[in-house]
Amino acid sequence: MKVICNKLTSLSRKQIALCTVLIICFLTTVIFVNYNYSFYKVPIAKVIETKLEGTTEKVDNFQNKDQVFTQRIKAEIKNGKEKGRLIDLTNEYSSSGAYDHELQAGDELFVSIDFDSDKEIHKELTGTIKEVKRDKYLLMMAWIFMFTLLLVGQKQGLFAIISLAVNAVLLSYALDVYIHTAGISLLVICSVGAVLFTVISLFLVNGFNEKTYAAIVATLLGTFLSLLITYLVMEVTSEKGLKYEEIQFITRPYQMVFMAGLFIGSLGAVMDVAITMSSSIFGVYEEHPGISVKALKKSGLDIGKDIMGTMTNILFFAYISGSIPMLVLYLKNGNPLGFTLSMSLSLELARALAGGIGIVLTIPIGLYTTIFFVKRKRARG
Amino acid sequence: MNVLVVLTCILFILMTLVGGKKGAKSFLAIFFNFAVLLLIILLMNDPNLDPVILTFIACILISCITLFFINDVNSKTTIAFFSTLITIVILLFFIVVVNKMAMIQGFGEEEIEELSSYSLYIGIDFVKIGASVIIMSTIGAIVDVAISIASPMREIYLHNPAISRKTLFKAGVSIGKDILGTSANTLFFAFFGSYLGLLIWFKDLSYSFGEIVNSKIFNAEMITILWAGIGVSMNIPITAWITAYFLVKEK
Repeated sequence: MKVICNKLTSLSRKQIALCTVLIICFLTTVIFVNYNYSFYKVPIAKVIETKLEGTTEKVDNFQNKDQVFTQRIKAEIKNGKEKGRLIDLTNEYSSSGAYDHELQAGDELFVSIDFDSDKEIHKELTGTIKEVKRDKYLLMMAWIFMFTLLLVGQKQGLFAIISLAVNAVLLSYALDVYIHTAGISLLVICSVGAVLFTVISLFLVNGFNEKTYAAIVATLLGTFLSLLITYLVMEVTSEKGLKYEEIQFITRPYQMVFMAGLFIGSLGAVMDVAITMSSSIFGVYEEHPGISVKALKKSGLDIGKDIMGTMTNILFFAYISGSIPMLVLYLKNGNPLGFTLSMSLSLELARALAGGIGIVLTIPIGLYTTIFFVKRKRARG
Repeated sequence: MNVLVVLTCILFILMTLVGGKKGAKSFLAIFFNFAVLLLIILLMNDPNLDPVILTFIACILISCITLFFINDVNSKTTIAFFSTLITIVILLFFIVVVNKMAMIQGFGEEEIEELSSYSLYIGIDFVKIGASVIIMSTIGAIVDVAISIASPMREIYLHNPAISRKTLFKAGVSIGKDILGTSANTLFFAFFGSYLGLLIWFKDLSYSFGEIVNSKIFNAEMITILWAGIGVSMNIPITAWITAYFLVKEK
């Protein structure tokens, strides 16, 4: 208790003000998201009571055993004309839950109401479930995320959050421009976007200084070069081995979407490598201002070697892991392993490999750009 | 020639050129990690094995490969290894809870059309598979943060062995803060890149804001990004504390 009191008194006014603002924001948004029913046009029902009606054992063509349950649900309409009335719903869910969920009292659902059943006013409404209301969970997660980052990272954590938010808004805006402008290539939009992303993120993370300039130049050179290499490889091999059939959510030319995704996806990792290279080389230089360029190169290359493995791993796992549910579903539906892998992993693997190429290329590029900036600084005295 | 084969060859040549022996080792590590991932996915097909436990085993193997194979077995990699595992255990627990509440497991309605010919009743718990996806997406970054903190902390300790546990811990957290921004950025952009198609899809089909924030797919993707950020930042004090605890023997 005493420790906490001491901690509290040691906080500056600015910090206390910031905490208060944060807590007020947190409370208002949480209250809002729990009572925002009237902002939705679709009827929302809150589950009051569930009853298990029946269980069926299912065995599919591939001898997969599963159980399917039927739930009878009593829920209360929370918005619109029927507000306050009860509704009767049925929910079917399986124990695997690939496309269904078990509902519990307190869950909120978007429903559609059957109006022909509404002849007698006292009778309960009936309807079907359309979607689960998830906004409150998303908000809670966003707050947990922000509190963790602020608690651990403080100022740097705040900058990481700002950087994420600014980049997300920028990306969304760039896509709006792309969709509303006829005849503009997604790659052009993403190239302009990439320059902005890099400049904003690196300035936010690292401040205005020579290290950041060197990192920006290295990032841009590294990403564009790796994109060029990937493009050339795809041209030369006429894209053999890439299975676009399984690419999801496609409303636009898929090659373009794939290339643009690859581009943006590797940007963060390349930035990380570039900034690590430039800060550590500048660090060595500042510690030993008289160091020879050769020695600087050697220590830079050593750092590069150290980060190469883990950085390529990060990208690799970030990309491949998203395919796990699809892979399991494919395999469980009796598809052979080779077919499953080539169908649902080829694009992710290509992305990971291209990102890896970008990371490795950025090591020498970052090395030479930083040394160029070090030399410039030295010449200036 | 196959695109993937050519890209793999280019990556291998570049890694050996730039990194020499260590580069070749790093390349091999990617291969081993891929093998581990495949093995675990194959094992997940057995309904009697728990996907969460399988994921944990995969994480142990992957951290071993990334830490002990690329580097050596020494005090800093061992510390990084244990910090990674502790972070993973804590994360796994909370991820399963949140996934269950938010009902974001499995496939969304946008995906289900193309899967219509498949049987979805396959007897595998998709809530746990979903938790596995989130952990596996972040494991690379968590290992990276752990070793990036443990290694300079050991340097600091070797330079002044009289340092107190608390001071060393603070130094570790401050190193962690510096890498937090870039590590989080790496993951954010990787996810943005993967979800680009989805974002264009939402915009092209003019989803309303309400539809987007409640859709299963969007929630699943966003919650993955947020967990990645939480995992990376949670790992910082954990690693700093474990390193300080093991290195400084207080009387």
